[in-house]
Amino acid sequence: MKRVISLLFIAALALLLLYVVSRMPPMGEPDIPTAVRVVPRYLEKAEEETHARNVVTGVILNYRGFDTMGEVTVIYCALAAVLAVLGREKRGRIRDYVELSGLRSSVIVRAMVSLVVPFIVLFSIYTILHGETSPGGGFQGGAVIGASMIIFTTIFGLHLSSVKVPQGFRASLEGVAVITFFLVGVLGILGGGNFLTYAWPKVSESVHPALVTWLTVLVEVGIGLGGAMVLISMLFAMVREEGADEPMA
Amino acid sequence: MNLWHNYHYAVAMVLFCVGLYTVIMRRNIIKKIIGLNIMETSVFLFLISIGYRKGGVAPIHAEGLDPSRMVNPLPQSLILTGIVVAVSVTALALSMVILLYRQFGTLDVSRLFREETEEAD
Repeated sequence: MKRVISLLFIAALALLLLYVVSRMPPMGEPDIPTAVRVVPRYLEKAEEETHARNVVTGVILNYRGFDTMGEVTVIYCALAAVLAVLGREKRGRIRDYVELSGLRSSVIVRAMVSLVVPFIVLFSIYTILHGETSPGGGFQGGAVIGASMIIFTTIFGLHLSSVKVPQGFRASLEGVAVITFFLVGVLGILGGGNFLTYAWPKVSESVHPALVTWLTVLVEVGIGLGGAMVLISMLFAMVREEGADEPMA
Repeated sequence: MNLWHNYHYAVAMVLFCVGLYTVIMRRNIIKKIIGLNIMETSVFLFLISIGYRKGGVAPIHAEGLDPSRMVNPLPQSLILTGIVVAVSVTALALSMVILLYRQFGTLDVSRLFREETEEAD
């Protein structure tokens, strides 16, 4: 009975949603309501106002900077909550990592992973640093670093990966995204503008574009580094290996 | 009726209902979280589709590129925010699930409720 009611509810919701969708303006037309108000201005002015050729980066870090700063805080709070629920991973001595890895992966898999992971990290650094001129940015690059550590931990186990990215190192860098964003925002005030205005009125016109670009890159690096460390810490808090909680012999 | 023309939106709505079905009907909590992620993904697909425009190019300025040809950058920025929030929600939910499993040894919702009432008796 409960099943039938649930199914009916979902079917009714699906029909309602499909009806609404069928009455929406056609997709992809240049004059639909979502594309006519603020968006043309973003597209026209973003390059000269934010000095980021990638308009998405300009919108995220400049026009909607407050929003992104709150979001960086959200992911930091999520890490704090995960750590409050699960606790950090226990520091253990390194044991034979092949024996500890739950997967018992073959030599081929281990060789391939140790070969590929450095290139994944290199790619993520590229993604972070080129966020204002090409697709990419801090969040994406940070996520790629996190993914590389997930692969590494799956194959080599928690003990070796927590040696590669030590707990103290992560703990000192987890908050760096929020701090960088905040400090760059305060720099805007010191420059005579508002919070998070990359545009400094006191700086001469010739220095201004380079300054804004470098501040944007600085924020991207902060977000990338902080986001990566947050993801890795979340992963390590969730991974439990057999024998990891017991005292080492 | 634009349903055929707006099939991206329609697929997103169907995906949303699939996710909702998973959240409501499945008894395994992990599968409920997967359903939640399907719902989130459908919303992302919907918003990104709104930003699409026919024959549009990526919103990255290059020499000789007319800005009026670019796709809408605003949904992309919003989705980037949304993805991070989705990751946070999933991480928190999964950590709670880990704790539940350690405590009760099961992820089945009906069994979890039963054990709770038994303990209360």
